[in-house]
Amino acid sequence: MYHIIETDVVVVGAGAAGTMAAIKARHADANVRITVLDKSVMETSGGAGRGMDALNTMAVPPYSYPEDVVEHTTKVTEGVLDQNVAYEFGKRCPQLIEDLEKIMDREKGSLFPVDEDGNYQLFYLHPIQKPLLLPMDGEEMKRALAKAVRETGATIYNRTAALQIISENNAVKGVFAFNIRTGEYYYFKTKSVCLTTGCAARMGLASSGYLVGCYEFPGNAGDGYHMAYQAGAELVNMECFQANSLIKDHQGPGCGYVAVPRGAYGTDRNGNSTWSHGYSSGDSKMGAWKAFAEGRGPTHLKMSHLPEESIKVVEKILWGNERTSRKIFHQNRGQDYRDGDAVELAFAEEVGVCGGHSSSGVMADKNGASSVKGLYVAGDVDGGLPHSYLGGALVMGGMIGGNAAAYSSTLDGEFDYKGLKKWISDEIQTFEEPLRRDNGLPTDQVEYKARTRIQHYMKPPKNPEFLNIALWWMDRIRNEDLPRIKAVDYHDLLKAYEIKCILTVGEMMARSSLYRTESRWGYQHWRVDMPESKPEWAGQWVVIKKENDSMTLSKRKVPELKWDFATKMEYSYPELSFDVGTPFKKESNWINPEEDKWMAGTLAEQGMSTPRRFMPGKEK
Amino acid sequence: MSLFNMNTIEKASYEWITVDPDRCNKCGICAEYCPMDVLAMDSKGYPYMKYRDDCWYCDVCTFFCPKKAITMNDLPYLIS
Repeated sequence: MYHIIETDVVVVGAGAAGTMAAIKARHADANVRITVLDKSVMETSGGAGRGMDALNTMAVPPYSYPEDVVEHTTKVTEGVLDQNVAYEFGKRCPQLIEDLEKIMDREKGSLFPVDEDGNYQLFYLHPIQKPLLLPMDGEEMKRALAKAVRETGATIYNRTAALQIISENNAVKGVFAFNIRTGEYYYFKTKSVCLTTGCAARMGLASSGYLVGCYEFPGNAGDGYHMAYQAGAELVNMECFQANSLIKDHQGPGCGYVAVPRGAYGTDRNGNSTWSHGYSSGDSKMGAWKAFAEGRGPTHLKMSHLPEESIKVVEKILWGNERTSRKIFHQNRGQDYRDGDAVELAFAEEVGVCGGHSSSGVMADKNGASSVKGLYVAGDVDGGLPHSYLGGALVMGGMIGGNAAAYSSTLDGEFDYKGLKKWISDEIQTFEEPLRRDNGLPTDQVEYKARTRIQHYMKPPKNPEFLNIALWWMDRIRNEDLPRIKAVDYHDLLKAYEIKCILTVGEMMARSSLYRTESRWGYQHWRVDMPESKPEWAGQWVVIKKENDSMTLSKRKVPELKWDFATKMEYSYPELSFDVGTPFKKESNWINPEEDKWMAGTLAEQGMSTPRRFMPGKEK
Repeated sequence: MSLFNMNTIEKASYEWITVDPDRCNKCGICAEYCPMDVLAMDSKGYPYMKYRDDCWYCDVCTFFCPKKAITMNDLPYLIS
């Protein structure tokens, strides 16, 4: 069963960016028809579904200014960015504070801290000499945003996963989706899409082996990257991997952005700090990698030296926001933050890609516009505004909502939807093939296979041989396993689709890593065969695009940098040569074929077939 | 009596979320808001972990339950 629905703006993914997009689309146009799709539920979906404790990167005068956001973003991206986008984001941060206080119905000083002069108080975290972190008492943020979306009169489709963004002549014309509970399909005729699907959370599999034991919201399987790519959009920085220090096994945020501004730091087994700062950039990741490579693991987040008041604050924030299960996790293990080794950190146990925590995503300009007309992106799927976290998602989400509404209202004419019903029927037939099979590969095993290969072959330090094996696996699973997959119900059918997305993103990660013939961003793109940053790659994006049905890559210079900030972090790539002593010397055991008489005789007698003498009840 | 039946294959059903039937009013809010679509209502109208291994241990079910009938005792076995 399917429905064809006309609308003006489709928001794909109702996380932080998507909800703000819907809200601002209504602010921009009282009559625009807004449709919101979420494969989960708008009130609780996404990384901030259970709230958030801070807007990690913000410019709020007089503590920090838009130029400071530009300085930070320029440094951590090593100059591979459009500074204009970072500046536009920084400029809009004070407005975001105002918006959130209004949406959440909170007084100044209640939602965000205010100093004795009445200014919003920011904290130091980032690798620049300015404070950019704004704490937030944001436990109910997502529900408040959802309530505001409902008040816009937008039509909301929960449990409805977008499967395709359809474009024609490089312009959006529709979205194809299905409900994971009812199996109903939807084709939305629309001229604009706000793509806010989050990052690719389910890439490299963490060592726990638990498929949804991942840092980011596991509903984000890279669907947005896949759909944008299929629609013809450009993606950038897919070689700049996200590889965080997380709570070992739990894989939740490693508490660093809460505890570090209050005096905590990461330590190795000797109790020494692993790096000079706690921001998750490529340089600090090199420090974490080095600790493990030198046998100085495990690493921990040390809080035992903090005053009791600070530890209580950390506990209140960590246990009441975002990943509240941290409390049960630590308490059931008998771990107390007052002990130096309470919080063991995992490092790079799940490599993946994300625009908000790193730099990877769909290319978008300062208006959030992608290279496909009518397709706007914001949040973690956005590669145009790196390292902007929740603040960037909310600001850019709001911006694209307004821009999408304005774009759709200026368009005249209709796309040609001739043959649409047949197209939909054919798509449903193809999509439901895994349901119709009598038997086949279980979705969880196929996903397990893909993600263990991604983790094993792509985890930095990278080299071309590993990356090519990763590509071979992506190709093999796509061609040999997907056609054999068995889905038992609609919920499971979504999994089959998500694996396809994981494979697309995995291929992007490997191809992009091979294409950038240098190392950059510290650990995030460290090639052992080319362990230095090269001048010819300075200020260059690797752009991925689908052309003639294949993944093409190209090099593109970023817009000229207007601000002369540092484009390098302080770190260096090590030479990997460990002295393991002199091995035992032995004679060659090479057997020449003419001397291998026993096996040659066996081969002559038995041929290549396996002897059947061990088969019970069978004649030899 | 044998401790197990040799003729059937049964997997241990382990769930880290428990529902107190004396408190639960079968309203279904937990299943409605579970972000990973883990929960469904059983034949008696109580929630259970239909897709247990999709649980992100996010705590929404315990938080949203108006009767405080759901408890998350632990995290998924593989990560606890």
